[in-house]
Amino acid sequence: MNREDEIMNKKKEAMKQLRGDRKEWITMASTMVKEQRKERKAIKKYLENQPATVPEIADATGIPSDKVLWYLATLKKYGDIVEGEKDGSFFRYVLTESAPE
Amino acid sequence: MESNPVLNVDALVVGGGIAGLQAAIDLADQNFKVAVVEKDASIGGKMIRLSKVFPTLDCSSCITTPKMAAAAHHENITILTYCNLNSLKRDGNHLMASIIQKPRYVDPEKCIGCRRCEYDCPVYVSDEEQGGFSARKAVYIPFSNAIPQIAIVDTEHCMLCGKCEKACPTSAIDYFQKPIYFTIKAKTAVLATGFELTTLEDKPQYGLGKIPNVIDALQMERLLAPHGPYNRVLRPLDGMEPDSVAYVQCAGSRDKSMGVSYCSRVCCMYAIKQAMLLSGSLPLADITIYYMDIRAFGKGYEQFYQNAKAMGIEFVKAKVAALDAGENGSVTVRYEAQDGVGVTMANHDLVVLSLGMIPGWNPKGVCPVSSASDKFIKTIQPKISPTLTDMDGVFTAGAAAGPKDIVDTITEAGAAAMEASKYLIELQKGHAA
Repeated sequence: MNREDEIMNKKKEAMKQLRGDRKEWITMASTMVKEQRKERKAIKKYLENQPATVPEIADATGIPSDKVLWYLATLKKYGDIVEGEKDGSFFRYVLTESAPE
Repeated sequence: MESNPVLNVDALVVGGGIAGLQAAIDLADQNFKVAVVEKDASIGGKMIRLSKVFPTLDCSSCITTPKMAAAAHHENITILTYCNLNSLKRDGNHLMASIIQKPRYVDPEKCIGCRRCEYDCPVYVSDEEQGGFSARKAVYIPFSNAIPQIAIVDTEHCMLCGKCEKACPTSAIDYFQKPIYFTIKAKTAVLATGFELTTLEDKPQYGLGKIPNVIDALQMERLLAPHGPYNRVLRPLDGMEPDSVAYVQCAGSRDKSMGVSYCSRVCCMYAIKQAMLLSGSLPLADITIYYMDIRAFGKGYEQFYQNAKAMGIEFVKAKVAALDAGENGSVTVRYEAQDGVGVTMANHDLVVLSLGMIPGWNPKGVCPVSSASDKFIKTIQPKISPTLTDMDGVFTAGAAAGPKDIVDTITEAGAAAMEASKYLIELQKGHAA
C-alpha cells in the first residue's frame, strides 16, 4: 500500500466514524432532502409547461402556498427561475433554461 | 496539560455590531491594539441586516459595509468571528477573556468565498438571515456582504454527502475541524452586545406567531432590503403583493404582560421609515400605523413623521387588542378607536408587529458586570458618564445598555472608546510612576 492509499484509507475510516457520530442529524437531513427533492421537482415540472403564480403552483402540486413561495425564492436565488410578468396582484415565475433536473 | 494560546491586546470589544466596530475603530486609531469578539459568523450586527436607516433613508448596507471593512482591515484590530465568550474576569491589572471559536468546518485560510460549495449542496435550510422567507444551503456564506466571506457547514443539516468537498476549488472543506479555545488578555473592555427582539410567539392576543401574514419588523426589513428574499414586498403566505399593510406599535414594549415595561425607543421611527419605504415600493397600497403615541425624539425625526403623514400614511391612535386570521390570508385587527366609535375591526393583507428590544446578552455566570432591572447592562452614572459599568475598566456602548437608535449608539461607542482610552493612559502612567 502506498502512502496516498494509506491517507485515503485513514480518511475513509474517519468519515465512517463521523457518520456514526452524526447518525441522527444525517438521518434527519436525508429525510428532509428527499422530501425537498420531490417538492422541487413537482414545482419545476409544473413550470416547464407555463410560467405560473404561487397559488397556481400550490393548487397544481398540493404543496402549501407559503412553502411554494419559499422554494421559489430559493430557486430564484440560485438561478433556477426568474420572476416573470405580473398577473393581477401576483407575479408569474419562469424556469430558466439552465435549471438542472 | 497544554494551556490555551493567549492573545495580548490593549482593549477587548465584545460584539461586532455597529457599536463594537465604532468603539474598536476609535481605539485602534489611537494606536491601541484591539480584539473584537463576535458570536455570529460575520461582523455588522443588526445594522447590516437593515434596509435603510431613519431619518436620512441612507442604504444601511452601504453605510455599514465601509465601517465593517475599516475595522476588518485595520492594522490594530483583530476580528474574531463565530466565537463564544465563556468568561470575562479581572486578574490583577488585566482582564482575562476565555473564548471558544466554533468550528466552521471550512479552513479560513483556504476558503475564497466563491460559494461553489453552496451551489452544489442539495440541502435547503430556512435562512434566518432572510427572516425565514427563503432557504440557504447546509454549507453557506452567511449573506452577500458578510465579513469575512468564509463558508460555514451547518452540521445539524449536513448529510456528509461530500458534494461541497468535491466542488471546493481550494480544498477548504474540513469535516473534522474542532473548536479552538484561547484566551484574550486585555487591559480594558467595551461590552457592545446589542439587542434582540421579543419574539412573535410571546403574546397570545397577537396569535403567538401562528397567524399567516403577521411578521415582525426585522422580517419586514428583509422584505424591503435590495438583497431580500423576494427582491420585493410580497405576502409570505402566497406571494401576493399587499394592497394594505398595517403596523401594530408597542407590540412588545410598554407591556408588563410581556415583561417589557419600558419603551424600546426606535419602533415609532422604524415603523414610519418602513411605511415610507412601502409607499415607494407599493405606491397604491394603504399603509396604517396603529400607535399609542409617537415618540419622534431625535434630530429631524419630527419632520420625518410629518413627512410620512403628508405622504398619506394613516396614523390611527389606538392600542390593538387582538389579531385574528381573516379571509384569503388577510389579518383582522381589532382595536378601540379613540374617536368615539368604540371597538373597531379592520382587515389588512399584511401586518407588521413592532416588537420590543431586549438585551442580546446576559452576563450572569460569564462576567461579574451587573444588569439593571430591565436586564440591560447597568450603567453606574447614566447621566454624566453613560458608558461606565460597575466593573473597573469595563465600559458599555449601544443597545447593550438599553434600547437606542443608530445615531445614539455610534455616539455612545465613541464615548466608550474615549473612556477606555483614558483608562489605558492612566494605567500606563501608573506603571511609569
